[in-house]
Amino acid sequence: MLILLTFLTNCSGVKKLSIFKEEVKRQELNLEKPTPLQLEQIKWIIITSENADEVFKKMEEQGLDPVLFGLTDNDYQLIAKNFAQIRNQLKITNDLLDKYKDYYEPKTQNSQ
Amino acid sequence: MRLIFIGIIITSLLGAGAYVLKLQRDNVILKENAIKLEGAISEQKTLIENQKKDFAEILEANKKINELVNNLKKDLDDLDKRFSKKDRDIGKLAIERTGAIERVINKGSDNATRCIEIASGSPLTEKEKNATKKSEINPECPSIANPSYVPY
Repeated sequence: MLILLTFLTNCSGVKKLSIFKEEVKRQELNLEKPTPLQLEQIKWIIITSENADEVFKKMEEQGLDPVLFGLTDNDYQLIAKNFAQIRNQLKITNDLLDKYKDYYEPKTQNSQ
Repeated sequence: MRLIFIGIIITSLLGAGAYVLKLQRDNVILKENAIKLEGAISEQKTLIENQKKDFAEILEANKKINELVNNLKKDLDDLDKRFSKKDRDIGKLAIERTGAIERVINKGSDNATRCIEIASGSPLTEKEKNATKKSEINPECPSIANPSYVPY
């Protein structure tokens, strides 16, 4: 009877509650940001049917090869717009990268 | 008969004692559970607060990026307008005033080059930061080169 009593009282006990929590932080990527560009200055020369001889003469005097790689006025406008679009895309991509880094790797977290 | 009766009493007493001990153990466990649950609720509250902060941060980041995209689009539209303003023909102008247009184009090219440097992450100079007048700004990309400039 004693065995039976012990058996019954221990059978319906309150179960201990266990809360499992295991958080393993992902390693930060911490890639270095690319070095900002330092571009070379280029010089545009406008050549027309009237000043062509003068331009080539000047180039020869300056020791430059008397040759020019040309664009029409329309293509000049297009290349200016193309570069502006590339610049915009570069800026947006860079800012997006900064925002992602701020969000996932904020400075307070980095300093911990 | 008497022995059986004593046996039953002793067994009952032992059983009661064991039951009380079990109740005490259960009580301890229940208290521990209550503490854990309170802790879990507090953690959930913190989690919800953090999620609210994250949402606010996401909204702000989206707003900033949208503003940037709109400003850059405006810079591009301005460039387009400069080429075609009042039926302007840059080719004809270059024939008529070759030297002046060459200077304008080279100045514009230098400005555009600087814009690309800034877009790639180059820090702004004090002059760029403080520019507020049209004559002081980089007209190719004022939205990224001159944060103090308000178009007028």
